[in-house]
Amino acid sequence: MLSANDQAVQPHWLQVAFIGRRPKATLIRILALVTFCFVTFKYVLLPIRIEGISMQPTLHDGEFDCVNCLAYRWHEPQRGDIVSVRLAGPHVMLMKRIIALPGETLTFHEGHAYIDGKRLAEPYVKFECDWEHGPIVCSNNQYYVVGDNRSMPFEFHTQGRAERDRIVGKLFL
Amino acid sequence: MKKVFRLLLLLAGLGLGYWLWGLCCPSPEKLVQRQMARLATTATFTTHDSNISRALKISHLTGMFTVDAQVSLDASGETARTLNGRDEIRDAARSGLTMLSALKLEFSDVSIRVAPDKLTADVNCTTRVLMGGSRDMRAEEMHFQLRKIDGSWLISRAETVKTLT
Repeated sequence: MLSANDQAVQPHWLQVAFIGRRPKATLIRILALVTFCFVTFKYVLLPIRIEGISMQPTLHDGEFDCVNCLAYRWHEPQRGDIVSVRLAGPHVMLMKRIIALPGETLTFHEGHAYIDGKRLAEPYVKFECDWEHGPIVCSNNQYYVVGDNRSMPFEFHTQGRAERDRIVGKLFL
Repeated sequence: MKKVFRLLLLLAGLGLGYWLWGLCCPSPEKLVQRQMARLATTATFTTHDSNISRALKISHLTGMFTVDAQVSLDASGETARTLNGRDEIRDAARSGLTMLSALKLEFSDVSIRVAPDKLTADVNCTTRVLMGGSRDMRAEEMHFQLRKIDGSWLISRAETVKTLT
């Protein structure tokens, strides 16, 4: 049973609901949460919205996802990774898949990608493709990036060699 | 408490002074930024714009370029094109406004570098264009060069930058 003195110090239920029993601790928690969210979503996981059809059926128009900016801090991008390539800055980026690594030569023949003459297995390409394109050599600092939807003519698909410093990160999910 | 209030008042006064200073004497970077924003607004038109309004936009747009301006466009999936001088830019703008029902131009990630002589500036940005009834916004990286002529910043060169080679 509460004494009259206990009832006097008991905060109002509205205060308890919104700012807790200890407002100072709540404020510190809020500040910590805001800082955590700011750092995470500004420097670690960049939230993105997919626009366009070039990565279908892997990624769909209007989907939300995140780019892991720390993915390539300790190792270099790998073949098959879906990466974000920045244009002038991080607000608009190209989402593409790496199919050729630095120093490799890429060819498209009858719609299939060949790396240094060997056919690349690409289970993620689901649509028909008839691309024919001569050898493309990636220099020591370049990665060849292309979308999974290759149903359009070669020249209408945004693709090419991306410099390493343009690769911002890897798709998180 | 009085001291804190005075300090806050002083900070607010300093902030207001800084804002007014920026408003009255804008830096070259700010002026270039405004010119780029003006370019995006002028080049944007909707289906509701009348022919007179479109003609005015063409005139304003052409006036934002120097007489000898060069525009080189090489977007993926499009034929590379170079426009030399105001007349060619005017013709291209006119045909664009006639062919398209609407156009929306936006600049993002704008970085401005003004030369030490404060007479030329380089601008790198991502240009996003939404044409006609299309749902897809096209994005291209672009580089602009501006020159200060008679007190106003005019575009002397505009070119697409190849993000993927």
